[in-house]
Amino acid sequence: MSTSTRPTPVGSLDRPDVDVRLRADLSSRGPVLLAFGSAIVWLLVGTVFGDVASFKLHLPDWLVQQGWLTFGRLRTVHLNTMIYGWASLAMVGVSLWIIPRLVHTELRYGGLARTGIWLWNVGLVIGNLGVLAGYNDGLEWLEMHRYFADPWLVVGGGMVGIALLVTLAAREADHLYVSVWYVMAAYLWFPIIFAVGNWPTFTGVESGATNWFYAHNALGLWLTAVSLGAAYYFIPKVLGRPVYSYQLSLLGFWTLAFFYALNGMHHLVGGPIPEWMITTSIAASALMLIPVLATAVNLHVTMVGRFGALRYSPTLRFVVLGAISYTAVSLQGMLTALREVNRITHFTQWTIAHSHVGVYAFVTFVMFGSMYYILPRLVRREWPSALLIQWHFWLVLTGIALYVIALTVVGVRQGLAMLDPQVPFQRSVEVTIPGLVARSVAGLVLTAGHLVFVWHYWLMVRGRAPARETLVFHEARPILYEPEAEGALR
Amino acid sequence: MFPSSLAVVLTGLLMGGVALAAFYWAWRRGCFRDLEAQSRIILDDRDYRLHRPWESPEQRLDRELHYGTLEPPGPGEWGGAA
Repeated sequence: MSTSTRPTPVGSLDRPDVDVRLRADLSSRGPVLLAFGSAIVWLLVGTVFGDVASFKLHLPDWLVQQGWLTFGRLRTVHLNTMIYGWASLAMVGVSLWIIPRLVHTELRYGGLARTGIWLWNVGLVIGNLGVLAGYNDGLEWLEMHRYFADPWLVVGGGMVGIALLVTLAAREADHLYVSVWYVMAAYLWFPIIFAVGNWPTFTGVESGATNWFYAHNALGLWLTAVSLGAAYYFIPKVLGRPVYSYQLSLLGFWTLAFFYALNGMHHLVGGPIPEWMITTSIAASALMLIPVLATAVNLHVTMVGRFGALRYSPTLRFVVLGAISYTAVSLQGMLTALREVNRITHFTQWTIAHSHVGVYAFVTFVMFGSMYYILPRLVRREWPSALLIQWHFWLVLTGIALYVIALTVVGVRQGLAMLDPQVPFQRSVEVTIPGLVARSVAGLVLTAGHLVFVWHYWLMVRGRAPARETLVFHEARPILYEPEAEGALR
Repeated sequence: MFPSSLAVVLTGLLMGGVALAAFYWAWRRGCFRDLEAQSRIILDDRDYRLHRPWESPEQRLDRELHYGTLEPPGPGEWGGAA
């Protein structure tokens, strides 16, 4: 990853709006490239662990001689590297790039943000090595060691959050675009839910409640918030027109903020916690219809009459598919929260499919699309090959579609088999095998897509693509380069 | 020590309450005034004047009427390779 050479803008300062974007991009360049580079490494690591874990489900005697190669550890490392390594660090990069642009100023404390990203990475290495060695907190999405790994994430994430908050406080724009609300709220919500989820006095059954409070909110108030913020930026930006209804976008954000935090208990339908908590959670889940429909309708109508843009813009292709997946996963989540549906789908492969629609088809697609837009503007080189982008898109789309369809179908069959007292339990496992094999095939297709993306990224950042002779995009007529200004940006 | 059910529900309600307070604060500070301008803050002058190959002749004409002669996009303008 090449972060050391600072691009040298040339030209004249005669367009204030252009100057603003350029100053913002220059200031965030180092931290964003570090975050993206780290995210991509974790994407590869997580993909390998996911593949091996997937194969082990239908080849149970494969790689069982060593404790660290057992399913329980590999699958946990897959989840943690994908959530905290790939998705979270990609989101950190998007946040650090998008906030200075939206508030019309430079990123403040860029060095602090960079240090924070390094600390976050150290925490991930310690946490995942710990999991492989058998140290697991036993909490879903919080398996990394509470005292040896988590503090690195807390401090590192906090540093990034401080840099963003100070940048926001120093804003030169009067207006706060809806993406600012989404992204900044995510950095305030995450420490709260992380603290509650890790609260050490809750153990056993009690920790189930705090655990699902955390895990569900990590998806809804962290991953979703930043990804929707990105979608609300890139779709109108590429189309060159504002969102269809800005009021709807605000309605979507604020209703998410009001109601989402109570949703997590629907994961414990039938579990040993007070029934009123679960009912409250189901009601809150139903209320999610408001932000979901507000977002879905708004982004869809923004696209109406311009779907042809998907042919021209890889960014739009990924982000729009991600936004569609957001609608799908949210509606599916509301449905799954209902007791009548949950009694069939709970403890089945349906849940795995559902979570992959959220974290992959929604969040990961939005992050891929964002990177396709942001990276050329930071490294000053084009993506070298349109063909490689097409391969990437179609491989990951095919892979995730096969993954979700296969596991959803066998998940329902598995649930029905488990509910039928006439059917032996072993049968409920056997019905999943075709889906598990299909999932491994899908995993290999996704891996191929990731390898194409990583190879393409490597070609670009290592300078295998032609550098721009003339500056394009918003830097078409950039500011005059001033060394003092550079010093101020550090 | 209080039960986890209380911790979860109170935190959930507190987060909703803080969001409500933030909404009220933002309202009083005028963060929701002039939403039209807010919705356009992500777009630069150039964003309006770029020729977009997917737009219909009517959409293009409308853009020209409002923003003048359209500029050709840069290579990879829309995110990705040209």
